[in-house]
Amino acid sequence: MAVRRQPLVRKVLLHLGLLPFLLFAVFPFYHMTLTSLKTDRELYDRASVPLVISQGPTLEHYQKLLWESAFLTWTKNSLMVTVIATTVSVVIGTIAAYALARMKFVGVGAFGTGIFVTYLVPTSLLFLPLAQVVHWVGLADSKWSLVLTYPTFLVPFCTWLLMGYFRTVPKEVEECAMVDGATRLQALWRIVLPMAIPGLVCAVLFAFTLSWNEFIYALTFTSSSEEITASVGVTSELIRGDIYFWGQLMAGAVLGSVPIVILYVFFLDYYVSGLTAGAVK
Amino acid sequence: MRHVSRRQFLATTATGLAGILATRTPPAVGQVREISYLCWNNFAPNSDKKLAEIGPRFTKDTGIKIKIDHIAHAQQAAKYASEVQSQAGHDLVEMRMHFPWLYETQLVDLSDVTAELEKKYGKILASAEETAKVKGVWRAVPQYHLPFVAAYREDLFKKASLKVPDTWEDLYTVGKELKKMGNPVGIPIAQNYDSISTAGPVLWSNGGLEIDKDGKTVKINSPATEHTIEWYKKMYRDCMEPEVLSWTDASNNNSIVAGKAGWIHNPLSAYLTARNRKMVTADGINHHRSLGGPQGRHETDVPRHIGIWKFSKNVDASKEWIRYLLGKQEVYDEYIMSGDAFLLPVFDKLSDHAVLRTDPKFAALKAEGVQFHTYGWPAPPSDKVQRITNEFILPNMIAKAVTGTPTKEAVAWAEKEMKRIIAG
Amino acid sequence: MAIGNVRVEPAAPRAGLRVRELLDHERFLGPAFVTPALLLLVLLVAYPFCMAVWFALSNSFIGRPSHFIGLQNFVTLWGSDSFRQTFQNAFVFTGIAVLFKVVLGITLALLLNEQLWFKRMIRGAVLLPWVIPTALSTLGWWWMFNSLYSVVNWSGIALGIMDPPGPNWLGQKYYAMSAVIAVNVWRGLPFFAITILAGLVSIPKELYEASEADGAGPAARFWHITLPLLKPVLAIVVLFSTIFTFSDFNIVYVLTNGGPINSTHLFATLTRQVGLESGQIGQGAAISLYLFPVLAMVVWVQLRFVRRQQY
Repeated sequence: MAVRRQPLVRKVLLHLGLLPFLLFAVFPFYHMTLTSLKTDRELYDRASVPLVISQGPTLEHYQKLLWESAFLTWTKNSLMVTVIATTVSVVIGTIAAYALARMKFVGVGAFGTGIFVTYLVPTSLLFLPLAQVVHWVGLADSKWSLVLTYPTFLVPFCTWLLMGYFRTVPKEVEECAMVDGATRLQALWRIVLPMAIPGLVCAVLFAFTLSWNEFIYALTFTSSSEEITASVGVTSELIRGDIYFWGQLMAGAVLGSVPIVILYVFFLDYYVSGLTAGAVK
Repeated sequence: MRHVSRRQFLATTATGLAGILATRTPPAVGQVREISYLCWNNFAPNSDKKLAEIGPRFTKDTGIKIKIDHIAHAQQAAKYASEVQSQAGHDLVEMRMHFPWLYETQLVDLSDVTAELEKKYGKILASAEETAKVKGVWRAVPQYHLPFVAAYREDLFKKASLKVPDTWEDLYTVGKELKKMGNPVGIPIAQNYDSISTAGPVLWSNGGLEIDKDGKTVKINSPATEHTIEWYKKMYRDCMEPEVLSWTDASNNNSIVAGKAGWIHNPLSAYLTARNRKMVTADGINHHRSLGGPQGRHETDVPRHIGIWKFSKNVDASKEWIRYLLGKQEVYDEYIMSGDAFLLPVFDKLSDHAVLRTDPKFAALKAEGVQFHTYGWPAPPSDKVQRITNEFILPNMIAKAVTGTPTKEAVAWAEKEMKRIIAG
Repeated sequence: MAIGNVRVEPAAPRAGLRVRELLDHERFLGPAFVTPALLLLVLLVAYPFCMAVWFALSNSFIGRPSHFIGLQNFVTLWGSDSFRQTFQNAFVFTGIAVLFKVVLGITLALLLNEQLWFKRMIRGAVLLPWVIPTALSTLGWWWMFNSLYSVVNWSGIALGIMDPPGPNWLGQKYYAMSAVIAVNVWRGLPFFAITILAGLVSIPKELYEASEADGAGPAARFWHITLPLLKPVLAIVVLFSTIFTFSDFNIVYVLTNGGPINSTHLFATLTRQVGLESGQIGQGAAISLYLFPVLAMVVWVQLRFVRRQQY
């Protein structure tokens, strides 16, 4: 923008213009959290004001969620699946990205395009046949089926993201090291990776988020209360027939988002750069 | 003690093992059998807790270890399909309504266990038999049922001196007054199962039906159907509000619990929600016996059963679990009592169960003179009949009629759709 | 810049041999490095994709043997009301949602591009809907649209813009589609805004200064400088968003499960209903394959016109 003094009026108007966007973005979370703290009596009272708590906040929904449902099991499952899938995917993605960004070999172009195309194949196309594959390998209704299938969309994304970051590491630095006697692998491990740490952090964050966020594979491949993830558990087990436990549903939605929010607060800038790197590079 | 040489010891052991392997019967001592039971997340959460207590007692009494897993109601269908696909999974599965028909070829014949139970407790409810007995063979053992019943605002009825209805026509008469009071009747006419659950009884009590007993002949085009539609039209016009066209299964619950609806048709869940959440309306809600019509008093039912997969390696041990949970009256009684009258016994001699006396509001569930059926009655619940249910043809027909389509046209449409599905 | 600790090999060989060694390394190491990814994608993406095609051409049903039936599934689908409605829904949903996201995304990006107070907090708040698990945040919207207790209706009635009791958002045909689009826009807007912002930031300031000196007003600057230079970024974002919006599952499944009367079903949710819940795998696969033409088109456009990078 032009470099000139911004009059105060203009600045205030700018922020007012942002306000509807901010409200739109944040209100559902505010409402969700508020609802999770309301007593049942107030929640189901048609005359109450939905924007505030007027009959006193309560932690009963959180208590019931944590102690009377299998929520902790679901969260444990989500965590396990996400951590393992993220680790596996970032490792596979890192070496693939390095090869695509730095090396020349037969099929490198085709593979690069292939990775890109695979990223675009939606999970909603593959979930039905993958359900059969999961059966055949004996992982039906097991969280391990998720560990197996999540890398299919995490690896392309990580590879692609990391390719961009690896390209920012100057070739000369590596070549210098290799002339000095280091092998490719050593150059990768000791030179390139340390310089691409922002990219690695980004990849880990995104893989974690995408994995935690995943729903259709989790819903399709797992069904018993012991094996499902947090998202599936909250959306399917807190509804018994025609009784919706809204207080617990909202509490579950809030708690289920906590791990991501924690990461998000600490690594906001990485999320932003990851998003832009993904699309702009 | 005689000294046993190693060779002698090995020889005896080997012979012993060979003998065991030859006859395939495990020795009585030291053999632990293990079975697994996939149960649904009961609508009455205390039932699940009670089941978790009964499991270890069963193990203590019979020596058979049992692992009880749970799954959400909505996930059951996918889970059964998955276990059938992989021919592996649990030994026992809880099944609702017509599922034994869907999985007939995969379920063990349980006629022996069922015969024992009937001898002890009397005849099994018709709706349970229709759904668990497939082509003459019991493919699952009915354990309890979840009947529909009428829930109404007794306090409002008293205030306006309204008569508790006994027939669907009576409902129209009081419904008009209820709507004027601002507490309309709440019967959904939408693509949800509650809609079918009411449309069915109204149709049956008028003598109508969708598909005949042979499972093939489409009989929806009849004067009884037209009479049903006319009734719905006047109900929609004078006793209900347009919102019923977009209701989900939970909507009628919410409506009466929040104080709006004056009369709904639902299982016990609405009242239990109000009571457990200490809502203002809890005191005012009561139930009355299912409504009747010129051709009898028919009601929708949701029976639930236990089946054993054919691929199970512990069929006999699994039967023991069923005999324990349902066959031992103390255990069965305890199990039913924990269910808050949500789930009632399916056996004739137990129909007036003690659980009905735990709350005066449960009295109507005794259901004297009420005939229970599941969706699609009297046609056997085959694939095609289930498709008719799952495509909501009955409610769609009624929805068309109440929103302007001439009755005969709506009926013709339904007939065409049903014929298409039966033809495959 | 630190080079790092490097082990120095004694007596490094002559330069020519060294280079050949490197190339050899690459020819071996390169494929070795990509093999795990390749294996994963062939076994768990390419192979299932072929399976989907096979299913679609067969009468596969859960628990029963299947037979090849050619294109019959695809033909039967067109006779089904629910499928035709889904087909229409997918295009309406994607078209309107992407349009809103583009317009609102550009607007928000322009606002964010300014010098702001609380910049970090604002960016954080804006990005939040995209980061939180969609299935869970959709639960919040579900409650917001609840027929009896909707806060949307309550606010509308309080502000006087709605008559009580307010629409039944998730129960009436066009309202349900609006609700689903609203949640999709809410979830996808951050992606658009942040990415377009990055594009805005990369536009050289001199261009604006020069045109201002020439007398161009803010609107003209927007139309003649900003928009054209944003085209590549917009193209990428729109293409990505098209695929992910077209194949959306989470929002529709949690909010309406395709209802009322199939008016919000998308290919993904209908595939699950037909393929998994009704057991008709063949037809389910056929439905999901309708995603493929749009996918193929997007990929083709991306590869031809947008991606200019060489591998």
